[in-house]
Amino acid sequence: MEHMALINFIDISLGGAITLILVGFVGGLVSGFIGSGGAFVLTPAMMALGAPGMIAVATNSCHKFPKAIVGVFKRHKYGQVDVKLGLVMAVFAEAGVLFGKHMMTSVRNSYGAVGTDLYVSAIFIVTMAVVGSFMLKDYRKLKAMGDDAQKTQDITWIARWVQSIRIPGTMFYSRGVQAEISFLFVIPLGFATGFLSSAIAVGGLIGVPGMIYVLGVPAIMASATEMVIAVATGLGATFLYGLEGAVDIRMAMLILLGSLFGIQIGAIGTTYVKDYQIKFTMAVIMLTVLFSRIFYIPGYLNSVGMIEPLPAGTLQVLKWIGDGVMYLALFLGAYTVFSALFKGMKKHRESKSGSAGETAAD
Amino acid sequence: MASSQASLGKTLLWGGIAATLYGFLFYFSDDFLRLAHTTQDACLVQSGMNINYFNKATPELCAEQGGTLIHGTWWYVLAPIAMAFALSYTHGIFTGLFWDLLGLKARK
Repeated sequence: MEHMALINFIDISLGGAITLILVGFVGGLVSGFIGSGGAFVLTPAMMALGAPGMIAVATNSCHKFPKAIVGVFKRHKYGQVDVKLGLVMAVFAEAGVLFGKHMMTSVRNSYGAVGTDLYVSAIFIVTMAVVGSFMLKDYRKLKAMGDDAQKTQDITWIARWVQSIRIPGTMFYSRGVQAEISFLFVIPLGFATGFLSSAIAVGGLIGVPGMIYVLGVPAIMASATEMVIAVATGLGATFLYGLEGAVDIRMAMLILLGSLFGIQIGAIGTTYVKDYQIKFTMAVIMLTVLFSRIFYIPGYLNSVGMIEPLPAGTLQVLKWIGDGVMYLALFLGAYTVFSALFKGMKKHRESKSGSAGETAAD
Repeated sequence: MASSQASLGKTLLWGGIAATLYGFLFYFSDDFLRLAHTTQDACLVQSGMNINYFNKATPELCAEQGGTLIHGTWWYVLAPIAMAFALSYTHGIFTGLFWDLLGLKARK
């Protein structure tokens, strides 16, 4: 069958289902803790379990968009969502999703499912390296600033410049920015967010910092507004990849089963920690996951015939190392959230009982 | 006491609905996969006990392999989307009630 392509979904045994639920749980913990979709852990985890890159991305999109809808409503109640900015960005993000999906299917049509493994891994590694390094830098800065970091968050010079530019006919008022901005600046941000969303199922890693640093939206509003974009990109990617038959609903729902349990623990954990601890967690997980992906690359290159064939034993060892590092990242994620939660709760109880004692003494 | 019993009842109810939907999904998982495979034109080839689906299928290529060509139905894509909505909603409510019941709360 030279011209037809076998459609592959992984077999899910009972053990596999439990693993997916646990992976989803950790993904949920991390996602609640750092306020993102958690797909940057889930996409590579699904691939480590044997799902081809395109199916992992499609399935992840399907698991995240309903969660994002719930998130939008919750955070809209707190007044954190800039709906207009979210919708403008979502329009251009959808264009990015279309482009990203076209790229993915072109890769699959030319190199098969394993080609998408290579494509997703390569984009993943580059994105994680860039965003992870920025996170580490941010962590150091916030830690050095201590408590002042929570009080002041100056907007960048780029954001000040963007806010000062007036291009007639393109201006709209953004509640997050608290000024009029030109939608022309939103185009690249939206497009990149949508593209990454359909390439690795992780769009917020560009969208959120983009809104903060380029447009000058406060961090809390940026992450809430990104959910509007996540709904559009997640639903768009699910629909477009679904038309290709690439959404594995069993895998998506098993991940969701664990992740909805984890997300609330993660979200509660954040109320006990400082901002810089969250950045640190995010950076460590990103860089560990990135590191794990590197070990799979030779196997993918071997499968698409881009390198001299490697011995089967070598490929197996590389996969084991990759899997090991991936599971280490998941363990690190779970450990960080739980230790932050327990330490924070203990401290909170101690400070409460201390102040109760003082009140009694008075 | 009455309110904790009421919230236990609500938790069990939503948990039951979510569990039923999960049961439905996995009982009919082969059908869900078939819908995914046949959203596009696909060639169904019986190989022993297994059924393999191939895409990028044409009548000629499929006939060469002794398979059956199935014309794709685009709206099958709505099946996973509807399932994702339903499960996310019900399971989301259940997990929220579940952690509330266990007393896990954010710091005030």
